[in-house]
Amino acid sequence: MSDAEMKPGDTILRMEGIEKDFGAVRALDHVDFDLCAGEIHALVGENGAGKSTLMNVLAGRFADYRGRLAVFGRQVRLTNPRQALGLGIGVIYQELSVLGNLTVAENIMLGHEPAGRLPGTLDRRALAAQAQAVLTELEFDLRPDARVAGLSHARQCLVEIAHAIRKDVRLLVFDEPTASLGGDDVGRLFEVIRRLKARGIGIIYISHRLAELPQIADRVTVLRDGKVVGTRRIADCKVSALSQMMLGRKLTDMFPPKRNTPGEVILKVRGLTRPGAFHDISFDLREGEILGIAGLVGSGRTEIARAVFGADRAAGRCEFLGRPLPRRSPKRCMARGIGMIQEDRKRDGTITDSSVGLNIGISVLDRLSGAVGLLRPRRIRNNARRMIDRMGIRPTDPARLIQTLSGGNQQKVVLGRWLCRDPKVLILDEPTQGIDIGTKAQIYRLIMDLAAAGKGIILISSEFFEIVNLADRILMVRDGRIVREMPGPGTDVDALFAACIGEGDE
Amino acid sequence: MTANPQPPTPAGGRWKPSFQLIQAGTVLLLLLVLCAVSASQTETFLTWQNLVYNLLTNAAYLGIMACGMTFVMVAGGFDLSVGSTTTVCSVVTVLALQALTGQPVWVSIVVAVLVTAAAGTLLGALNGATISYIGVNPFVATLSTMLVFRGIALILTHGGQTESVPLAMKNTFSQLYWGKVPLFGSEAYQVTVPILVFAGVFLICLYVLRFTRFGHYVYAVGGNENASWLAGINTSLVKAATYAICGLTCAVAAVIYTGMSNTAQAASYRGLELVVIASVIVGGTPLGGGSGGLLFTLVGLLLLSVIENLLPQFGVQEEYRNIVRGLIILVVVAVDVLARGGGRKARRT
Repeated sequence: MSDAEMKPGDTILRMEGIEKDFGAVRALDHVDFDLCAGEIHALVGENGAGKSTLMNVLAGRFADYRGRLAVFGRQVRLTNPRQALGLGIGVIYQELSVLGNLTVAENIMLGHEPAGRLPGTLDRRALAAQAQAVLTELEFDLRPDARVAGLSHARQCLVEIAHAIRKDVRLLVFDEPTASLGGDDVGRLFEVIRRLKARGIGIIYISHRLAELPQIADRVTVLRDGKVVGTRRIADCKVSALSQMMLGRKLTDMFPPKRNTPGEVILKVRGLTRPGAFHDISFDLREGEILGIAGLVGSGRTEIARAVFGADRAAGRCEFLGRPLPRRSPKRCMARGIGMIQEDRKRDGTITDSSVGLNIGISVLDRLSGAVGLLRPRRIRNNARRMIDRMGIRPTDPARLIQTLSGGNQQKVVLGRWLCRDPKVLILDEPTQGIDIGTKAQIYRLIMDLAAAGKGIILISSEFFEIVNLADRILMVRDGRIVREMPGPGTDVDALFAACIGEGDE
Repeated sequence: MTANPQPPTPAGGRWKPSFQLIQAGTVLLLLLVLCAVSASQTETFLTWQNLVYNLLTNAAYLGIMACGMTFVMVAGGFDLSVGSTTTVCSVVTVLALQALTGQPVWVSIVVAVLVTAAAGTLLGALNGATISYIGVNPFVATLSTMLVFRGIALILTHGGQTESVPLAMKNTFSQLYWGKVPLFGSEAYQVTVPILVFAGVFLICLYVLRFTRFGHYVYAVGGNENASWLAGINTSLVKAATYAICGLTCAVAAVIYTGMSNTAQAASYRGLELVVIASVIVGGTPLGGGSGGLLFTLVGLLLLSVIENLLPQFGVQEEYRNIVRGLIILVVVAVDVLARGGGRKARRT
C-alpha cells in the first residue's frame, strides 16, 4: 500500500451517489461526500438520518450498496471489513465492538497481533508492550491486562478508540465517540483527534451534539432522512442554522404548545438501588406530567426505567396510585396500569414475522380472544384498524408483516400496542430513535396529547432538545445517581448538556 | 489451574479469579472429594489397575474427542455429529486395512490411519462449511449430519455388517488400544497407548488454542463474532476450522477404539456426542463460547469418568445410572449459573 504520499488538502475519499436500502426503507438516497487529508469533516443529522449507515458502507459492512467510492484516488468497492482495514480505514463504531472476554491489550491489537518466533504463534509479551505504547501515546489511563467486560461503558469506548488508531491508519471515522464520555475524556479525545489531524490523517467526525463542532471540525455535512442537505465550512455557519438544516423546519413547529397541567402524584419511587447500575433513586411522577430523564449513554437512565417497570430487579420501593407495588414484574406493572416502550425496538419491541395486527393486539389478547382462549381474528383486525387510524400508521393494512414497515411506523405500532391497554403511566425509552422527522413530530404531538389527557409520562432521550421541549421537569442522571432536578420549560439545551457531563458543579 | 488464555498477570493489581476458574475449582474440588471418599470406602478404587487400565484408558478416547469439541464450543459452536463421525472413521479404518491386505503390516496401518484422519477432517469441514458459509444453525446442521454420517456408515458396512481387521494385522493393530508402555522401567506400572495418544493430542491442542494466533481468534470469535469480523478476522474460516479440528480428533479416537475389538460396526458410538459435550460444559466452557479451554475440559472429563467408574463400585444399579449422570451435569451447570448471579438477574438487562 504505498501510493504516492498524500499531501494535506488532497482529496482522499470521494463517495458519489451512494444508495442503500434496508428492506422497504431507503436509508441512503444518492449521498455525495468527500474528505481531504488532514481535515476533520463532521457529519451531522438526527438519529436515523443515515450517518452511521454511510460510514458502514465505508467500513465495508455492506455488500449491497450502490454508488461509487474512491479512496486515496482509487476506485474501490468495499464489501468486507478486511478490505477497508487493508486500505488504512479505521472506524470507531457507535455501538461498541469490543470483546468483553479479552483483555484491553488483546482488544487493542485484535486482528494484527505480533507474530511469535514459531510459525502461527503470537508473541504475548510484544502484544502487551505494543498495546501499552498505544495507550501511552493516547494518554488513556487503562490497564492493558484488565478484562474489558469489567470496564465501564466510557472506558470501553476508549478501548474501541485505541483499537482503531493504528500506525498505518490514514482515514479515521469517529461515530459519536462522545455519546458516553464525560467532560475530561471529551477534552482528551479532542486533543487526540487534533494530533491525528496534524499527522495528515483524514477524519470523519459524526455527532449530533452541534455545540462541540466549532471546537473540532473544519467542514460539516448535514444529512436528513438519508439525503445530503448541504455541506458548509464550519466558520461560515451558525449552530442554530445547522440545527434547522438537520430538522428541516423550525424547532417551534415540531413541538406543539404545552396544554397539560400536572396534578396529583401517581407514582412514587423511593431508594431504588442496584449495585453497579444506579444508586438511591427517588422521584415522584404526577398525573398529566411529562418527566424527562436526561443523561449520557451508560449513565443508568435505561436501567432505572427498567427497574421501575420490573424488567430488572432492584432494591427499593415504588408506590402507584397510593398503593405499594411489591415484587414488580412487567406483567404486574401492566396489570396495574404502567407501560414501557423499550429502547431497543428490534430486541424488545416488535415481534418479527408477525402481522401488524398481532403486534398491536399482543398486549390485550385476553380481550381479543374467546372464552377458551381461541383467537378471534375479526376482533384483532378491528382493534388494529382503530389504532392504525389513531396513530396514522402507513401502510394501513393490519395483515402486513411488521418488518416491512419503516422504523417510524414500527415505533407507532409499538406505541399503539401500549395505548390499547390505556395505561396510567407510560415510560418511553428513546421513543424517536431511528425514525424520520415527520414521524418524530407526530410522536411529540401524541406524547403531549397523552399528558393532556392525564397520563403520567417518563421520557428518556439522548436528544436533549426533545427533553427540554417536552418535559415539565428534568432529572439529571450521572453515574447512576440523580445529580440535579431542573424545570423543563426555559432550560437551555447547552446547560442541560453541561450538567450531564458534570461541568460546573465539582 | 490457570487455564485462562492469558499470560500470567504481572504482579501489581489484585488478581481476581474469573467465574470459569471458580467453576473449574468447584469441579476440581468435587473430583478430589469423590476420589478421597471412594479411596477410603472401596478397596478397588485406588489401584493402578483401576485408575490407569480402567478409568483413564476409558476416559482417553472420550477425551480426544472432547479436545476437538472444546475448539468448537469456545468458538461458540456445537457439534452433535461426533458420535456418527467417529463411527464412519472407524469403518473407514477397517475397510482401508482390508483393502491394504498383502502390504507390509506397518505400511498398511500408517496408510489406514492417514486415510481415516483425512476422512474425519473432511466430515468435520463439511459441518464447518455448512455452518459458517451457508449459515445453518449449528444445532440443526450437526443434527442432520449426525443422521447422514450414520447412514454413510451403514452403507459402507453393507447394511450394518461387522467388518473385521484382517487376521494378519490383528495383533499389531490391536496394540493401538491394548498396548502398554512400562513407566519408570517397572512392569508393575505401565501406561496404555490410548492414554499416551490422549496426552499427545491434549498437549498439541493446548498449544494451538493458547499460544497460536488461530487459537486467540477462536476465543475472539466466541466472544463476539461481529466485533471480530469488524476487526478484519476471517471469522467464517476460523469457525469452519474448529469443526474440521473436531472431525480430526474424532478420527484419532476412532482408530484407537477400533483397536479394542478389531471390528467396526455402524451402530457403535451412539450417544457419545452427549458425553463429550457434557465433559466440555461441566468443565466450565459456556455454551455461548468465548471462554473456558482445554484444562477446564480435562477437569470436566475426569469428573464424569470418575463418576462413571464409581457407579458400579458403589453398587448403583444400571437402571439408576442415567439418572445420576444427568443430575450431576445439571447440578454442576446450575451451580455455575447461580454463582454468576443468574438467579438474581435472570432477566435480560
